[in-house]
Amino acid sequence: MFGFVKNKWIYFLVGALLAVMVLIPFDWFMGKYNTLLIFIGLNTMVTVGLCLLMGYTGQVSLGQAAYYGIGAYISAILSKTYGVNPWLAMLIAAIVTGAFAYGIGYLIFRLKGNYLAMATLGLGLIIWILFRQLSEITGGPDGMGGIPYLSIGGFGFYTTFKRYYLVWFFCLALLLISQNIVRSRTGRALRAIHGSEDAAESIGINVAQFKVKIFALSAVFASIAGSLFVHHLRFVSPQPFGFLASVKLVVMAVIGGLASIWGAIFGAATTNILSDELLLGFGELDTIVYGLILMLVMIFMPQGLFVKLKEIIVQWRSKTTQKV
Amino acid sequence: MSEYILQTKGLSKIFGGLVALDKIDMEIEKGRISAIIGPNGAGKTTLFNLIAGVYSATSGEILFQGMRVNSMPAHRRASIGVARTFQHALLFGNMTVLENVMTGQHPRSQYGFLEAAFRLPKSYREERKISLEAIKYLNLVGLGMDKDKEALSLPLGRQKLLAIARALATEPKLLLLDEPGAGLTTLEKRALSDLIRRIIDMGITVLLVEHDMPLVMGLAEKIIVLDSGQKIAEGDANQIQKDERVIAVYLGEEVEG
Ligand SMILES: Nc1ncnc2c1ncn2[C@@H]1O[C@H](COP(=O)(O)OP(=O)(O)OP(=O)(O)O)[C@@H](O)[C@H]1O
Ligand SMILES: [Mg+2]
Repeated sequence: MFGFVKNKWIYFLVGALLAVMVLIPFDWFMGKYNTLLIFIGLNTMVTVGLCLLMGYTGQVSLGQAAYYGIGAYISAILSKTYGVNPWLAMLIAAIVTGAFAYGIGYLIFRLKGNYLAMATLGLGLIIWILFRQLSEITGGPDGMGGIPYLSIGGFGFYTTFKRYYLVWFFCLALLLISQNIVRSRTGRALRAIHGSEDAAESIGINVAQFKVKIFALSAVFASIAGSLFVHHLRFVSPQPFGFLASVKLVVMAVIGGLASIWGAIFGAATTNILSDELLLGFGELDTIVYGLILMLVMIFMPQGLFVKLKEIIVQWRSKTTQKV
Repeated sequence: MSEYILQTKGLSKIFGGLVALDKIDMEIEKGRISAIIGPNGAGKTTLFNLIAGVYSATSGEILFQGMRVNSMPAHRRASIGVARTFQHALLFGNMTVLENVMTGQHPRSQYGFLEAAFRLPKSYREERKISLEAIKYLNLVGLGMDKDKEALSLPLGRQKLLAIARALATEPKLLLLDEPGAGLTTLEKRALSDLIRRIIDMGITVLLVEHDMPLVMGLAEKIIVLDSGQKIAEGDANQIQKDERVIAVYLGEEVEG
């Protein structure tokens, strides 16, 4: 149901958070973290798509980074090689990635559980290999540079300061869209599929079709993030779209709470801060750290770290108000 | 075209080598309560699964309102008016009581991803109708007070009522109830009988599978008896109670032929 928030404090809180988000990129505040914050925003977009797919619909994808990559490469190639307007390139990328995922989904969502996990993983690997091998158009393992920045009229997103707003505008829009979907007829159908596919079919839900559609939507989210990614770095290579990246995205979704939209920000933030700030010296070992985190969260707080923290805060608040 | 809402002709289902249903002919009259009984493993749930479209028939025909529905997927059958409950309630554990029933309105509403994503007017209009209808069905089964609880926090008896409310929310013409009385107290069973009568008054045809004989005999105008995949008897409560093959089956004796 579209519940109206009765607690006016929520509006105050959201307002305050938005104000902080607007101020963050200024030099006197947290300006030196703008690059990190841009990546958190990009990862949040992919993660929230994954949450819709995994947390709400109960379908696994271990190849989500591939769709992030398809969006990135289509945008890069169209705008750099063919001189297409970057916004148009971004739109085309989203449509092509979505259509591609729809077709793929049609084939692989007959599978369940581990088989589905393996299929998405395998496909992700194949796509990643194509990024490397089709060097005529993708630049191969070395990648391609010189991708233009995005601009609106004469206003170009030339600085990280400006791109921070660009990325977070898209990020918040996708989060809001996701929240609207979750709280709708469509969202209930998705959750019903997670709850019981037989029961969902029995009340008229076309289970196969919803799975494919939500998979396509998650791929579109990833594609949009990928497009913004290349217009931010102005460079693309296969490296950020491999298997490890897909696993990292699952870690983000799990930490944020698979069935939590806003938790995606939290999951993306903790994971990015971990890998950018804390695990830099670990090299390849960071894979082990992610594996461990994934295991620990799944075992001790399967609802996700973010949701767990929220629960703890709510409990703590109700305790303190009881005392008064 | 026919006064039968549901008909099966020579309907069979074979699992591997096991004949779960063997050439079942059956007619279910519109607006009445009919029941299927039979010992464990007789094929009752399998018959429901064939009618609802969970399994496809090995051979034979299923006619719903005179239309052959053999190749229609389960979700389409729900949208043309076949609803069912399961032997185990199969509620959506990740939702509240109200949301479970709202989900049942799926085939009677339309708005999709786009309207949801951007909260277009159609989504508001339909949501309002969906929640009003859902509350109506919750009140009908007596769960109005529980609407905001987690579905699986309800005791078993109420979970079964919730499953019925969810099925009713699809606004069916034919309602299949698979052992609705199992696990209920005597008091709850009486309430269930009343509920089923009210469902009939709404113009919905009810077909139920049930082991509780007093419940079946008190409700059903027509009873079909299955044993090892075969229809061994059919008739009203009196006829069934006198039928020798039925008596034999229920006493666990072997019958020839
Ligand atoms: N999916 C399946 N695969 C293989 N065999 C099945 C399947 N479903 C049912 N069967 C078999 O078909 C036969 C009929 O089962 P069914 O569930 O229809 O019985 P039932 O009359 O509903 O019994 P109960 O009263 O115990 O619910 C049983 O022997 C069962 O093992
Ligand atoms: Mg059964």
